[in-house]
Amino acid sequence: MTTDVVRAERVLTKPQVHTRPQPAAKPRPRARTRSRLDGAAGHLVMVLLSIVCLFPVYWMVVTSLRPANATFETSIWPTSTSLDNYVYALQAIPILRMLGNTLLIASVVTVIQLFTGLLAAYAFARWRFRGDKLVYSLVALTWLVPFQVVMIPNYLLIAKMGLLDSVTALILPHFASALAILLLAQSMRSFPREVIEAARMDGARSWRILWEVMMPNLRGTIASLAILIFISTWNEYFWPLLLSRTPANSVVQIGIQMFMTTEGTAWGPLMAASTMASLPILFIYVVLQRQVIQSFMKSGIR
Amino acid sequence: MTDASLPIRGVMSPRKRSSSRQMGSRQTGSRHMGSRHIGARRLGARQITPWLYLAPAIVALVIWIYWPLIDALRLSFFQWNMLPRSPQLFVAWDNYAKIFSLPKFWLALRNTGIYIAGLLPIAVLIPLAIAIYTHDLPARARNIYRAIIFVPMIIAPVVAAAVWRWLLDPSYGMVNLVIKWFGFDPVKFLADPKVAIWTIIGITGWKLIGFSTLILSAANANINPSLVEAARMDGASRWEIIRDIRLPLLSSSVLFLVMMTILLGAQWSFTYINVLTGGGPLGATTNIYYLLWDFGFSSMSVGWSSASAVILFLGFGAIAFFLFRLIDRYSFHDN
Amino acid sequence: MNRKLPPMTRKTFLIGTLALLASGLSLPAMAEAIPATIDKPVTITFYNYNLASAGIGAEATRKLIAEFMAANPKITVEGVPYSSADSSRIQADLAAGRPVDLVQTVFSDLDFAVTNFGAQALEEIIPADEMAAHFKGMFPNGLKLGVLNGKTYGLAYTFSTPVLFYNADLFRAADLDPDKPPKTWQAVKEAGLTVMKKTGKQGFAAGITGPGAYDWLLQGVVRSNGGEVISRDRTRLKFAEPEAVEAIAMLKDLHESGVYQNADIASALDGMASGNIGMYLQTSAIQGALIAGATNKYELRSSTMPSFGDKPVRPNNSGSALTIHAADPLKQRAAWELMKFLTSAHGYTVITSEIGYLPLRPAIVADPNYLGGWIKAHPLVQPNLDQLAVLEPWDPMPGPNYRQIVKTMMDAVEMVIFGNADPAAALADAEAHAQDLMP
Repeated sequence: MTTDVVRAERVLTKPQVHTRPQPAAKPRPRARTRSRLDGAAGHLVMVLLSIVCLFPVYWMVVTSLRPANATFETSIWPTSTSLDNYVYALQAIPILRMLGNTLLIASVVTVIQLFTGLLAAYAFARWRFRGDKLVYSLVALTWLVPFQVVMIPNYLLIAKMGLLDSVTALILPHFASALAILLLAQSMRSFPREVIEAARMDGARSWRILWEVMMPNLRGTIASLAILIFISTWNEYFWPLLLSRTPANSVVQIGIQMFMTTEGTAWGPLMAASTMASLPILFIYVVLQRQVIQSFMKSGIR
Repeated sequence: MTDASLPIRGVMSPRKRSSSRQMGSRQTGSRHMGSRHIGARRLGARQITPWLYLAPAIVALVIWIYWPLIDALRLSFFQWNMLPRSPQLFVAWDNYAKIFSLPKFWLALRNTGIYIAGLLPIAVLIPLAIAIYTHDLPARARNIYRAIIFVPMIIAPVVAAAVWRWLLDPSYGMVNLVIKWFGFDPVKFLADPKVAIWTIIGITGWKLIGFSTLILSAANANINPSLVEAARMDGASRWEIIRDIRLPLLSSSVLFLVMMTILLGAQWSFTYINVLTGGGPLGATTNIYYLLWDFGFSSMSVGWSSASAVILFLGFGAIAFFLFRLIDRYSFHDN
Repeated sequence: MNRKLPPMTRKTFLIGTLALLASGLSLPAMAEAIPATIDKPVTITFYNYNLASAGIGAEATRKLIAEFMAANPKITVEGVPYSSADSSRIQADLAAGRPVDLVQTVFSDLDFAVTNFGAQALEEIIPADEMAAHFKGMFPNGLKLGVLNGKTYGLAYTFSTPVLFYNADLFRAADLDPDKPPKTWQAVKEAGLTVMKKTGKQGFAAGITGPGAYDWLLQGVVRSNGGEVISRDRTRLKFAEPEAVEAIAMLKDLHESGVYQNADIASALDGMASGNIGMYLQTSAIQGALIAGATNKYELRSSTMPSFGDKPVRPNNSGSALTIHAADPLKQRAAWELMKFLTSAHGYTVITSEIGYLPLRPAIVADPNYLGGWIKAHPLVQPNLDQLAVLEPWDPMPGPNYRQIVKTMMDAVEMVIFGNADPAAALADAEAHAQDLMP
């Protein structure tokens, strides 16, 4: 019953790879006066939105530069600046080591989740098999399991494996994620069948089809997904909090939290640590973002 | 859960079909992955292959999520402190009864609805507008805007919460200084029970816009430019292109985000509730996830937390089931 | 216990019973077996929440541990940070069978630590003469803080009392005498109104309600009005009885007069630190954060907790005790040695002067070898010291649902003070609800 709708929609949605080389692609400059006005209004809205998005971040950086007794000042531009907070934050916690750990964990988790996600999504997208919908639903439902309930059982398992206070333990429970599987399956389902059939005719095995035919065409999705996985791993808090004992084996979120104590919050160092924790990820985003755009361009004109 | 697949089907009205006829007719011949009869042909010898591909993910999810969850189902009927040397005391439905009789339970449920309703525009509509609007901008402006919109996403949630509390403070917060400068009374963003929930929704949305924009921009960029070009040659206006081509083609991603917001909205706001209001003032910002965390997970009683988890899982599972059904039916009717 | 259990549980249960039996049998033997000295190397764990943060608390703790290890070369102390907001790490480590030997336990968790985490009564493991020798010179009522059901389970470690901080500059600006801080709640209300009227700033804030407040400050407020939130034997909740209702209704009146605003702990703390609040009733532990905000900006002063008319003030402590959880006699000896060191004259000197808590030994306050000089330089701590002599325990709620009991009570208290709930009815309803959760 739904199949027809599904197919009809797919027919419409999917072109990318399938499209024959065509010149177009670039948005053509519009000359109409109305759109110029639209453009100005649009830019105005976007600029306002940008301020809302950026100001809190700006405030974080500015506060990190204020000396201790000027923390609560409300001047937009700091009246006096000092790097004391950074010096203190660097001394109080091994923040560089923590950043290194976080970077390592986030990168490894991203790669692993993309890998398991690609494999699983491929299975869902390419074959119909007994129980496929059930398994798919069960994967989707893992999203609804509150982390706190699996936290202590997972901890016990990690303890049995003798991995407490290790970076490995921070990676293991993140071997697969519903987001990666579902998002990739969604993209793969819209992949033109005949390209795969053609590859199959050429004698390619399913393994090769996945990596050589499908993956290159999913770069946009993969890059976006990589960013999302990376960030959510980077910002993860509960699991490392339970797991890490020594600051040197911990992640930067725990480090940030260490400035918020029951005896009050050390605002300056907190903001300094947060700024240091945010910069690498911003950098990675900017680099990957360019990659995303480029991969769209490529797949668009293929 | 007949069709829990999240790639939710878009619906085509006859008009949309006509506006994209060229593309459509060229494509009718192509078959896409996942169509049923092709799969059927593969049954048998190949039956094992998909499972091999699924194995790594399934093994991981079973070990780290489903096994503890099934154990939680059992433990939700016990009173236990999780220590091996102390006994598990069978209490039947006692844990559930205690949770359902929490004075704030129904308030939290109602608030959860407000959170979802409030988040939907911020997490879906605004990002949709941004994705479509920025798509036609020159590459440089587009990249800058999208990068800026994404910035909130990279800030750690606790830090975001701390900075926002600061900015919103009635006596020394920047936002209130601006409000006062315009001659209005300062707003108690976090202390006024009527306002607080919208403040939390706003901050949650602020963090989310980047995520949704990224997903929708990716989907939007996936739309074949030749489709748009074809429509343009037919004389379609910009708005018509958005309405008849972009929106229908983005509908699966939009529905994906709507689903996520409905199912996870309560969880997303958790950090901000926890850091900024603790569910207050007067329970005004408590949602179901926070309430169950407060009484279940943050206590050391396994029975409470397991029962909380089961309630959340079954409750939101039922909603998910219902939504999928609805979408299925809706698509069917339209067909 | 003899209800139907599924097979798997029965097995666990059987093992549990056996373990319980085994430990039960060997307990008396252990009491005698604690060795007089440490003659072979031993490693103990010290679960400490100060270590989970960056800054003075963690540094001073590490310093104390290092000093102890230098003085006791056979004992290795492994400091384990944990979050005081939830003790899930202790729970998880005990469940995983890892050693938990000495713990910095929040007083509110003391009952749970005893019944579930195996905190040991000192009377059962430490020879009586040793205990007496160490307790000599401590405030007698300070020693009572860690007593539960007649036995000493914990020794007050990082603890403090409620202090009324006030902004002397705001007082002056409002024509109030900063040398005469309000002593009663009535005076707090009047001073608060004056500050508001003359300076436009907020009059009063308190850490009584809100997430993370638990019930410690409330207990002292209710006691000061002659009531209590839970009966002395901790079997019956009493926060809906007239004295308690009256005390909470007084806070409601303070709120309705506009003096007392509902703010979560962090924003109240920041509000006070940034000079926007006249008075702030909170644990003395946050003194450091307030000083950081006040330095070169305004004059911060402190006073004792306000009283109800001429009724005596009955403050109770916040903070933590040290509890021994080790079952092995050698480790118990090592943990006891560390406990003694941390609660010695030197230990309290470091805790007071470097972390910002209180000494349980009155003699060191004036002694120039210990705190004498420091206290002269830090007059803010004086009200705190004054209250030590009348300090009462922060009673932990009993049973496995103790956290839910506290939450149920505190939710109702917040609804009464800041909402429209009728004090007597709302508190009675919550009390009935919470009483159901009592063991």
